[in-house]
Amino acid sequence: MCDLTPILRAAARIALVALALAAAGCSRPSNERVAAAAPPDTLALEPATAEQLLARVREPGARATLVNVWATWCGPCREEFPALMALAERRRADGLRVLLVSADFEEQAAEARAFLAQHGAPGPWLLKNQPDMEFINTLDRRWSGALPATLVYDSNGTPVEFWEGGADSARFEAAVAPLLDRSR
Amino acid sequence: MFHAPTRRLALLAASLLTLSLAVVPAEAQIAIGDAIPMADVRMKNVNDKDVTLASLAGKKGTVVVFTCNHCPWAKKWQSRVAEIGNAALAAGLGAVAINANDPAVNSEDGFPEMKKRAKELKMKFPYVVDGTSDVARAFGAKVTPEAFVFDASGKLVYHGTVDDSPNDAAAVKSDWLRNAVNAVSEGQAVTEAETKAMGCSIKYRGQKKAS
Repeated sequence: MCDLTPILRAAARIALVALALAAAGCSRPSNERVAAAAPPDTLALEPATAEQLLARVREPGARATLVNVWATWCGPCREEFPALMALAERRRADGLRVLLVSADFEEQAAEARAFLAQHGAPGPWLLKNQPDMEFINTLDRRWSGALPATLVYDSNGTPVEFWEGGADSARFEAAVAPLLDRSR
Repeated sequence: MFHAPTRRLALLAASLLTLSLAVVPAEAQIAIGDAIPMADVRMKNVNDKDVTLASLAGKKGTVVVFTCNHCPWAKKWQSRVAEIGNAALAAGLGAVAINANDPAVNSEDGFPEMKKRAKELKMKFPYVVDGTSDVARAFGAKVTPEAFVFDASGKLVYHGTVDDSPNDAAAVKSDWLRNAVNAVSEGQAVTEAETKAMGCSIKYRGQKKAS
């Protein structure tokens, strides 16, 4: 039998996002910012250093972990977000864990939470809490600091892929598929 | 309807086909000790005159900062970049700010806005347009702001960010770019030659996907 629960859940999220966009005015350019006021159902943004983030990556229970560092002021981050959310939803049952880390400035925390809520982003919602250079180099020395940045780890927390810059659905899928589809 | 394995195979095939379109082109970065690349390329300054990096090089060294108007990160540092550039000029270095962003992505990065910003910031050094983004590509510059400092012999001695406190100039503990400029102006070695910070990715002209 086909399990419709994920499909219904995805449809509900799409409807919520559509409603939010309608409320905000659909004629706006896609890279314009969402309303600053956070909806009441938002999660807290948890401060995290790179070491704390990597500890979460190494926690058991996922066949792959995708870390995405983003910011509300980053156009490409906002552009790729729907594809990332679709991946998180589509691949959750296959063992994908997605950790979203906002690199927003503290004064933009409410805007970050509103953005995550509007996209139905899975928790935990993390906020970078470390000087840039330490955070960047601890995660991957190849990272220039440009956002967005995406890192993929296997079930043991071993890094298997890194890139900076925006990605599309196919790019995200290609990064996690070898880890999720390998025979159990 | 596709069975799950078939759907996954299709997704994988699509992934492979689009992989090259989705990722930022990996530009090789110049390394410490390298010379100024594309030094003879003409770039339009906010005073409407063309300049080249060769023509702007100072006797004691040269400061090149890739920046832009729209990026919140660049805005946090823009006053400090103007101040350091002006100080570098006064100390006998050349200085230039380069905007390599495609204004089609953010209109705030257009030439008229650059003119206004240079005036507001009281920049005494050129703020120029990298009209093809090829100069940024040749440097391997990826974010705004991103600084490169060359010594009197024209060799790269510093590459990185401005300082460690974008939000608060009064809280700076590591004044990396200013320290590099001071060292070069005095003919001294730069102690921290490579640093990093987050920033907006450069919106290269001719890029297939914005990033």
